Amino acid sequence: MHDEDILIGTLMEDSWLTLEQMAAACAVEPAWLIRHLEEELIPHAESVAGVWRFSGAALIHAQRMRELERDFDAVPELAALMADLLEELDALRARLRGLDG
Amino acid sequence: MQFRDYYEVLGVPRDATADNIKKAFRKLARKYHPDVSKEKDAEAQMKDLNEAYAVLSDTEKRAAYDQLGKGYQPGQDFRPPPDWDAGFEFSGHGYSPNEAAGFSDFFEQIFGQAHARRGSVPAQGEDHHAKVLLELEDAFSGATRQISLRTPKMDTQGRVTLESRTLNVKIPRGIKAGQVIRLAGQGAPGIGGGVPAGDLLLEVKFKPHPRFRVEGRDLFLKLPVAPWEAALGAVVSVDLPGGAVKVRIPQGAQSGRQLRVRGKGIPGEPPGDLMLTIEVMLPPADTPRAREFYEQMAKEFAFDPRQRR
Repeated sequence: MHDEDILIGTLMEDSWLTLEQMAAACAVEPAWLIRHLEEELIPHAESVAGVWRFSGAALIHAQRMRELERDFDAVPELAALMADLLEELDALRARLRGLDG
Repeated sequence: MQFRDYYEVLGVPRDATADNIKKAFRKLARKYHPDVSKEKDAEAQMKDLNEAYAVLSDTEKRAAYDQLGKGYQPGQDFRPPPDWDAGFEFSGHGYSPNEAAGFSDFFEQIFGQAHARRGSVPAQGEDHHAKVLLELEDAFSGATRQISLRTPKMDTQGRVTLESRTLNVKIPRGIKAGQVIRLAGQGAPGIGGGVPAGDLLLEVKFKPHPRFRVEGRDLFLKLPVAPWEAALGAVVSVDLPGGAVKVRIPQGAQSGRQLRVRGKGIPGEPPGDLMLTIEVMLPPADTPRAREFYEQMAKEFAFDPRQRR
């Protein structure tokens, strides 16, 4: 492997995605995100001087909500609740793996 | 390329109504939901379901698929006739780039071409997203990792195909799960001359480690100690990916008690902490001498662990 083949990226802090990037990654219109943000259904997102920034956790949350709404016609509040529960499940499973290890 | 029978995937007849297709999909989507399913191939099944539903739930795509698939059996070798999709117009399929990348070559061959034609010319190539699975050790020392990705590419005829490519990416020391590495210009190429390519955003995940649990930059670990180390206090050595550290066990430590060693988790600004859960391990009473020790302890200690203290 030559040194020049190695890609060096920029490391982004936890809050890294813009509204447009989030929308593209979730295959939704930015308006869908704004509607859900206004309803406070997407945690891990913050508005700095009127500009939204999204963390990796917000991305997973929004993707799950989007899938639940699309696959099951879930109302946004129910999709958000389910995404919260799945997040909780992830955290508990990670702890369980720690206890087993 | 093999023909895929999307009706068979969803378990519905060819003349199923849109409502029945939706019902069948939901039933199976619940069964194979990767977060909760107990089926061992849930993730692969869910990909197939999503792909089948992306086609059969869309009137335009379903009509095109029905026309194209006449006379084909599942698994049969399939070649779409040239310009078969003339007269069809497809709108977006509503699946994220991550999901769509999991769709089969069959799907890409049929509907990928149609995607390439729609939409206005973007100012810049799209950003691509991918997940990269790292070893915990990579966060301690930094590393260069080979990452293989499947990327949709457009050929000269405007067709989209999935292309595999391998990148060598430098992983910086101190990286956390959920963090993102942005590789400028490694996303989709810009369309037209002088239009810059998009970026590639790599989301970092760690493979589960047999000894450590990671939260942010904090490392959680069980620390087995001997009864005398716990009772009298001791300095013990703990092996970490970045090298061993010495930790003081306080006198009178009990099983389950947590020790925080500041700054000895994953390095970074600020570095994480090492969180040790004390686990007192008893030596086996498997020799007469060992039994004698335990019997003597039983006599000497007025100790009832079940009595509330």
